[in-house]
Amino acid sequence: MGEVILGMPGPWAKKFHEASDHYTTKIGGLPDWPFPQEALDSNLLKCRTCGSKLSLVTQVYAPIKSGALMLEERVLYILGCLTLACGKTTLSWRALRIQKPCIEEDESNAAHGSAVPNSEPSEPAKETSWWEGFDEEDNEDMDLLELGRALSEAATSASNHKKKSGNQNSCTVGNPSSLKLTLPDYDSNVTVIPCFYIYSVEEASKDVTSVSMNYSSLSIKESRTSTDDNAEKEERWDEEQYEYDRALTADRTYLKFKKRLDANPEQCFRYSYGGRALLAEKVELENPGTCELCSCQRHFEMQLMPPLLYFLQEKAKGPLKETLENWSWITLMIYTCSQSCLGSHNTKNRTKGWIVAEESVLVQSE
Amino acid sequence: MADRGAGGDRGGFGRGFGGRGRGDRGRGGRRRAPRQEEEKWVPVTKLGRLVREGKIRSIEQIYLHSLPIKEHQIVDTLVGPSLKDEVMKIMPVQKQTRAGQRTRFKAFVVVGDGNGHVGLGVKCSKEVATAIRGAIILAKLSVIPVRRGYWGNKIGKPHTVPCKVTGKCGSVMVRMVPAPRGAGIVAARVPKKVLQFAGIEDVFTSSRGSTKTLGNFVKATFECLLKTYGFLTPDFWRETRFSKSPFQEYTDILAKPTGKPLILEDVERVDA
Repeated sequence: MGEVILGMPGPWAKKFHEASDHYTTKIGGLPDWPFPQEALDSNLLKCRTCGSKLSLVTQVYAPIKSGALMLEERVLYILGCLTLACGKTTLSWRALRIQKPCIEEDESNAAHGSAVPNSEPSEPAKETSWWEGFDEEDNEDMDLLELGRALSEAATSASNHKKKSGNQNSCTVGNPSSLKLTLPDYDSNVTVIPCFYIYSVEEASKDVTSVSMNYSSLSIKESRTSTDDNAEKEERWDEEQYEYDRALTADRTYLKFKKRLDANPEQCFRYSYGGRALLAEKVELENPGTCELCSCQRHFEMQLMPPLLYFLQEKAKGPLKETLENWSWITLMIYTCSQSCLGSHNTKNRTKGWIVAEESVLVQSE
Repeated sequence: MADRGAGGDRGGFGRGFGGRGRGDRGRGGRRRAPRQEEEKWVPVTKLGRLVREGKIRSIEQIYLHSLPIKEHQIVDTLVGPSLKDEVMKIMPVQKQTRAGQRTRFKAFVVVGDGNGHVGLGVKCSKEVATAIRGAIILAKLSVIPVRRGYWGNKIGKPHTVPCKVTGKCGSVMVRMVPAPRGAGIVAARVPKKVLQFAGIEDVFTSSRGSTKTLGNFVKATFECLLKTYGFLTPDFWRETRFSKSPFQEYTDILAKPTGKPLILEDVERVDA
């Protein structure tokens, strides 16, 4: 539970408003709703302070697996307001959680039921059975799911990866044709933020401690101290006490934040379901409130980090660049329902079985 | 399922990233490759972004508007090449635990360019090397401008403190008095280092209190230097003309009235 997954920047999208599927994690671009956009309440896409249309900042595919709870179809969308006067407070940001209950997962579970109790040596055998299963099945839903799973399995098992890479590439190329990759007509009132894709990396704790080892630009004149030995012998200094890190303009909390950032300087967001947020300033965080659907307490899920702003500003041009420069948040924390609830049944009708829940965003500014 | 590699974690976030970001990693594709320090700096703060783009050329612009410097790479970029650092002392710090004593090392590092900028960093760590590197970073974050003036005739470059200033930390009080040329830095070994790095050539000092506490002694000297630009002298009696802060100037949006008097306005001319 303590491990943190970092979202690192991947390739830029060829066209900022190109569509992908709701299994993709990306920054900017247009949101890929798993249902037609008309089914969504348009108020959810408007800024609460100024009423203008919100732009997608991040779309994160965030399934959950914890014991019995298996939520495959779960996506988070973080929308922000790009108007000049906005963007400073929590009100200009919206986090939406789109989720679908796993009723039809039972079939897939049964199919993979044999694969579930696995052990390392039998892994190669399981892999081949997956691929065989893949060819046989006609159900398109399953294909996407299996593709998602299979791709991640392939990534995690390095030794089998090379063999399957041939298959994998052909699958990736094959499938997008079934997805809407053509540019959809989008609402031109919405400003589209430059889009790039994200790949995930787990944060290793040794990264953080080894950061300080890598600064060769900092010179260490350790030899100097030995030459001053004579003078030092006559001086008797009092004992020193432990002191927390402090700089003229930075306090301990911020320095810890910066240290983590320096370990992986390009991290765009940190994901830690139910974990602790990395604060930039030691302030009493306001209560994120309770979930709208089930009234249980919200807990931390992920936070956006400043390198994201840097990358976007690099790529943006003209008036969009100015509005992006206007954003001065240092981190945005997303709190979602701790049960990841599905709410009551009557809400699902219009959106084809998906529920839409609004979650809370806390902003820390510079 | 998916306990294979992901370790059965709660947020099964690491899986299911479609095919997109996986195959080609055009940008930032390094995973766990050994990292070079010359790795591109990705700025965290707004000021950092401005410095990275090159919109801010000198550190005096930052001092002029009293903007907090929160990234040591900013100082590296602006003053970096001329900045030298030195470890003043490494002291062991002990803590009594049930299983004996735990020793950590406290490093005192001073950085400076010998021309009006000096910084002091103190860091405790379990290893000496980590403490030193950490202290260098903290020192860079604390770089301050030092005002120099004349003792008597205003001939040549400023060489001493502009007036009598005093700094205090804990029980230690350090007083600096302007000295004529050729006097050199008349101070104990440790504050002398700090003053040398600051670029002060001649000064008389006097200290009081428990100067055996190295931390307080060195911080008191630093406090003293900090005050050189805080002292209102007749040169600053002229009415100040406010100028735009870098945030306003380069973003041109939401004029934030800074309202800070330009005490440092003359810095660029006097020191130039």
